[in-house]
Amino acid sequence: MADHAAAHAVHDPNIGNTGLDNRKVGMWAFLGSDCMFFGSLIGTYLAYKGKSISGPLPHEVFDIPLTSYSAALLLASSLTMVLALAALQQNRIKPATRWLFVTAMLGLHFVLNQVYEFTTFVLHHNLTLSTSLFGSSFFVLTGFHGAHVTGGVIWLLILVMLGMRGKLDARDYTKVEIAGLYWHFVDIVWIAIFTVIYLIP
Amino acid sequence: MADQHAVAAATHGGGGGHATVKTYINVAIVLAIITAVEVASLYIPGIPGPLLVISLLAMSAVKFFLVVGFFMHLRYDHPIMRALFVGPLIIAIVIILAVMALFGAFVLLPRVVL
Repeated sequence: MADHAAAHAVHDPNIGNTGLDNRKVGMWAFLGSDCMFFGSLIGTYLAYKGKSISGPLPHEVFDIPLTSYSAALLLASSLTMVLALAALQQNRIKPATRWLFVTAMLGLHFVLNQVYEFTTFVLHHNLTLSTSLFGSSFFVLTGFHGAHVTGGVIWLLILVMLGMRGKLDARDYTKVEIAGLYWHFVDIVWIAIFTVIYLIP
Repeated sequence: MADQHAVAAATHGGGGGHATVKTYINVAIVLAIITAVEVASLYIPGIPGPLLVISLLAMSAVKFFLVVGFFMHLRYDHPIMRALFVGPLIIAIVIILAVMALFGAFVLLPRVVL
């Protein structure tokens, strides 16, 4: 059986000379580059921290309970994502599709929380992208993260639709694993943002 | 039989094994506890600023590596995958420190004014 699997792997066009799946290698390379992208944005936020000469200050606008709830949503979605992957590995398509759907809904809830937070900042605190250095660096950093989450939710919903139409099985494991890598990445970026932006006084 | 072969090939293109569902749930529980401690530490009066910052960063780092190691399977994956992620991650951390140094902004150490 191992020989058969190895033979299949040899003929799989996605397996490169290293014996690794090219799609997975590509996703890790992309995530590495995205690390540097978010590193630049977090560095800029910290560099500008406390240098705004106008507008509300972070501690005047941040809603820590709401943001903590959002952090919990993303952490929970990481668990449901690996549960989906584990179910798919055992060729249990219905539970896998269900866990993928739950993951997408948790992500959507996170995005809606962020929309609410941004709306509150703009309408109640007059904090916009152009108000101050804090406004610029905060909205760009968290906005780009929110865009990543939105992209992830769309990706997950596409996988859910494939699962519902019977076009997803254990042979698509790597496809779902790659989506999972991306999803966990937005979670770890939020772990960094939550601590550095919201929690550190 | 053919399906089993295809599944075996499809799930081993990444070069590594995976944690069990029980491990995933245990990791999630640890992540939830650390997050709760992080948030609670903000509401505990009397914690010195530098200690609070260091402990928050440490807890965040633990959460980061738990997700990367177990949920992203990097702990079990091929060294090439690890290098592809850890290398740029180190560069990202250097970028953050360099930009902060450039602007004289430090989280832990206030700028010395002469």
